[in-house]
Amino acid sequence: MIFEVFRQEQRKDYHVHVGNVHAPDREMARMYAQVMHARRKPAHSLWVVPKEEIAEVDSDDEGVSMGGLTQKEYRWATNYNTDETFAEEIEASQREQEEAERGREEAEAND
Amino acid sequence: MQDRYKHCYMDIEEVKQRAGPREFGPTDDMPEEYRKAATRMIQFHANSEIMGAYIERPFIRQAPSLDRKLAVSAQVQDEIGHGQLLYRAAENLGIKTREQMLDELANGEGKFLNCFHYPLDDWYELPMIMFFVDGAAMRRQATLKRTSWEPYAHAIDKICFEEGFHIKHGESILAELASGTRRDQERLQEAFDKWWPRILQFFGPTDDQSTHSDFSSAVGLKTMGNDALRTAFLNVYLPKAEKYGLEIPDTPAVTFNEDTQRYEVEEDDLDWDEFMQIARNQYPQGKGQIDKRHRTQEAVEWVRDAIENPGAGSAAAD
Amino acid sequence: MASARLGAPGDLSEREREAVEALLYQLADDEFVVADRYTDWQCQGPTLEADIAIANIAQDELGHARLWYDLLQDFGYEETELIWEREAEEFRHATLCEQSFESGDWADAVVRSYFYDVAEFLQVEALAETSYPRIADRIEKVNGEEHYHREHAQNWLERLCEDAEGTRRVQAAVDDLYPYALTLFEPTAKEDDIVELGIRPTPLAQLREEWYDLTGAFLDGLGVSVPDREALDDLVAEETGRDGSHTDDWQRQYNELTYTYRMLDRTEARRLMADPDEV
Repeated sequence: MIFEVFRQEQRKDYHVHVGNVHAPDREMARMYAQVMHARRKPAHSLWVVPKEEIAEVDSDDEGVSMGGLTQKEYRWATNYNTDETFAEEIEASQREQEEAERGREEAEAND
Repeated sequence: MQDRYKHCYMDIEEVKQRAGPREFGPTDDMPEEYRKAATRMIQFHANSEIMGAYIERPFIRQAPSLDRKLAVSAQVQDEIGHGQLLYRAAENLGIKTREQMLDELANGEGKFLNCFHYPLDDWYELPMIMFFVDGAAMRRQATLKRTSWEPYAHAIDKICFEEGFHIKHGESILAELASGTRRDQERLQEAFDKWWPRILQFFGPTDDQSTHSDFSSAVGLKTMGNDALRTAFLNVYLPKAEKYGLEIPDTPAVTFNEDTQRYEVEEDDLDWDEFMQIARNQYPQGKGQIDKRHRTQEAVEWVRDAIENPGAGSAAAD
Repeated sequence: MASARLGAPGDLSEREREAVEALLYQLADDEFVVADRYTDWQCQGPTLEADIAIANIAQDELGHARLWYDLLQDFGYEETELIWEREAEEFRHATLCEQSFESGDWADAVVRSYFYDVAEFLQVEALAETSYPRIADRIEKVNGEEHYHREHAQNWLERLCEDAEGTRRVQAAVDDLYPYALTLFEPTAKEDDIVELGIRPTPLAQLREEWYDLTGAFLDGLGVSVPDREALDDLVAEETGRDGSHTDDWQRQYNELTYTYRMLDRTEARRLMADPDEV
């Protein structure tokens, strides 16, 4: 069986996918995950998940539009021309959204 | 997670000592007092998202342009999504399931923010919620990125990421009305006069009168007091109101105390009887909102029956 | 039979332009009104997740309406004239779109969107061959979102029909909605020109046949029956929408839709996003 491994580097971090292991069962998968994905890089916690239990949505599959293809700018703070700098939390939200927007543009460019 | 990976049981003193940003999570064996306090706080927040969506909902249909309709629909959608995230964070505490919390909301046991007990009359009132109340909520939420219950902080990360658009769209509606006709400006002022005291009550009674505040602060669930939050809100939103030509009503009196560098609100000028009636879910209009939620939930009960226990059918149908 | 490509909006003959306009009104009004109805389910969905999904579908369909109304703007109309100041009886959407929902009738929402989305899919497929370039440019985006809508409706139908009560409710919704669903294929006054000029080369009558086969086979597989093919012509609802006749539900929806615009005494509809041609 294949198990996917998600590593949390330090407490309070999000778990991030780092790879997988082959193992006959869940117990062995947990053993292998530790030596394969945590022996150099720090790990506070590992999630070890049977691959077949993971449902995937692939954007290359026919008909997958990931929330839509037509214009969705209305969902973004960056679309509105009022000033966001008056409150730090609005500004932070705007900056995160700008970053996400750059990410989307890059993803589109690489497609 | 398997039991042997669970951390050791913590007593309240240890919780208070360790309390810090994102300090505790589902693998920590937290004392019941903490789990109950966190559940109460997050459930309140989640309920508020749902009931906030309820009062904005009519304006999806009533929005006066295609783009505004899209934006209002997206906002209501986000709020339901925030409710989903928050109920999940609360479920993690092992006290209540999402079903239970939604049932409590429908039954009138679930508590939520005072401002969402007042249905909105028309479009002029919409920015009172979308700009001022959501802005106040955003101020509070930003401080919760440092809450001690990690799943709550994770939910807050996503909420704050999305919420900026709500306030900016709210301001865009406010700006459009404020630069409209004289009648627009007058109606906007009326809406503001009506909502301003409610907005000032958003942060609750002053700290020394607030009941659950001390414990929540001591265990790091809450990271800022009511008074400091209200000051932080007034610091940026009061000038905004003025920028859009809104006159700040004389009562409730709001004064800036140079010594403490804080805005002070004359507590006696606010209607705390109404506030407490709302807090008990007994304010007539708010009750109307809760009853609506109750009817909605009941009306789709059959769907949940059908998907969760297929084949059984429902004897109580129709 | 391939038709000659039509020119740019300004170069159309009167006959061409009237046919293009009739088709665009039909497309745009269908999307706009059905989407607005879907938003009735916001805060009312059977689960939080279902609520978020139908809101997204509503926004997709509104986005399509926006694309089609925008093509009408090529002919000099403003959004205000196309929606907010237009009389209720000038709307050309099929009356399926405007039916109000009984509280909690999720089966209606699911069946309606299934009927609607299969019809839209067939219509959009037919439009892939359109002779009007401005429509051709936008088909891919519209089509890209429709797959999710159909799958969503089908998944829900399958789940509801695993349950006796669910099946009963779905059957009731099919029976109630069928006469209105058929109005999706009722012609506007320009139908012959729309087909002859190749703006939509496939006639609505043929799309109805395809729709009947597809939806009938799927629903039959779930144990839900549909009317006989021979009975369809007599079953079509009296108010088709395509000729401006509507049910009372529309007047109520229209009054609410236009309420704020009228109350604010508006003369313009605020745009928040770039023109579709500029993205």
